[in-house]
Amino acid sequence: MSATPREASPIRAFVAQIWGSIFRHGLPTTDKVAARTALTNFFLHIHPVRVKKSAIRVSYTLCLGGLSFFLFILLTITGLFLMFYYIPSIDQAYQNIKDLQFVATFGLVIRNMHRWAAHGMVITVWLHMARVFYQGAYKPPREFNWAIGTLLLLTTLLLSFSGYLLPWDQLAVWAITVGTNMAKYAPLVGPYTRYLLLGGRTVAQGALIRFYVLHVIALPLIGFLLMVVHFWRVRKDGFTGGL
Amino acid sequence: MATVVGGGNGEGRRAVQVPPGPLARPSQRPVTGPELTSPPLVVRRREEEETVVTFPHLVWKEFLAGLAAFVFFMAVSIQINAPLLQRANTAITPNPAKAPWYFVGLQELLERFPPVMAGVAFPTFVIVFMILTPYLDRNPSRRPQDRKVAITLFTIYACLAVAFVVIGVFFRSLAFNWDWTMILGHPGLSSPV
Ligand code: HEM
Repeated sequence: MSATPREASPIRAFVAQIWGSIFRHGLPTTDKVAARTALTNFFLHIHPVRVKKSAIRVSYTLCLGGLSFFLFILLTITGLFLMFYYIPSIDQAYQNIKDLQFVATFGLVIRNMHRWAAHGMVITVWLHMARVFYQGAYKPPREFNWAIGTLLLLTTLLLSFSGYLLPWDQLAVWAITVGTNMAKYAPLVGPYTRYLLLGGRTVAQGALIRFYVLHVIALPLIGFLLMVVHFWRVRKDGFTGGL
Repeated sequence: MATVVGGGNGEGRRAVQVPPGPLARPSQRPVTGPELTSPPLVVRRREEEETVVTFPHLVWKEFLAGLAAFVFFMAVSIQINAPLLQRANTAITPNPAKAPWYFVGLQELLERFPPVMAGVAFPTFVIVFMILTPYLDRNPSRRPQDRKVAITLFTIYACLAVAFVVIGVFFRSLAFNWDWTMILGHPGLSSPV
């Protein structure tokens, strides 16, 4: 036994105060504390306190909605690193990407992750939609969340598409040329839509800055907002669970 | 199994398991007994599904799934480099010029239908129809055996979508013309099996 009783140690009390100020509850050793943990923690309160056992079986959701969200976060973080090096100018962009690949420490792996996670997210979001359809999870009261989901799918595609141009290599410029040529075919508004998108008649500096702004600010914000509503609705409509 | 959540003696005790008998018919005997000294906050009946606390059950699964995804993408990114071709040159058109793979299905449609159909009408229809799906499908059942039409239609759509992307990516080469050799190899160069 030490001279001072443990409870009286000012350091322990101080640590306890810091812990208590951050988490507002002890370790979740009982259901009650576990429930309070989920209720009072900002990052966990997105969840209901209790969930149906059948709803969280991996075989039910296949983790696809969650994985889509996880990839969105991963893309935000890796994208942030890429932004430190990338300048949206047609004179510099390509060299910036080369530098990322060959000069910046871990630049190559970060760029690869950003690329593969973007492809991955298109796939997981699409599969998530398919699982929701096959389980009839879009039926009342979840009709509107399916509509939000459709917008999320579109946002995901546009995010991927706008990012495609940024490396300013042959692949990028010509894929965007082919892609935006499709917009041309809309009756009446087609050519204007394309002009608006490219900020000109060809894929040049005007297009690069537009795609850049859409890719790093506008679309992520729209996507984030839609996700917030999507998750809110999953909570409020209740999660389907078991067929 | 009926489960009583919260209330009761409070901390230090996980959900109390109550024999299903009295709870299944609520109008009968009040629930008393050594394990319940105060009324439970929530009483779940046997007919209701069993639940678990989100934290840690669900959060733990989410953490594992996230970890697995991270490890997977890290491994892929260490092994395979993202493509980077020559610097963009508007004077040299690559042949074929392809849209990103998720739009290559649309490009494939453009090969087969007039542009207004393929580039505008079809995509608009798919998006609008998709948003309206829950309002058009009046069938309340979620069981697969009751939803044969819906499931068939969606499966056809999904197969077409995947097929067009696969065709565009793997079977279209110069001038976006059909080309078996990308997959099967050149018969003149390798001996046929
Ligand atoms: C960025 C894209 C998306 C993200 C991050 C996302 C995320 C999620 C998450 C985490 C859930 C909880 C269950 C689960 O993991 O499956 C969910 C449920 C749901 N999602 Fe999505 N989702 C996205 C896109 C979509 C799309 C494209 C649709 C359909 C068109 C959709 C429709 C729904 C519906 C109806 C539910 C409720 C399902 C149920 O209660 O069983 N979501 N979403």
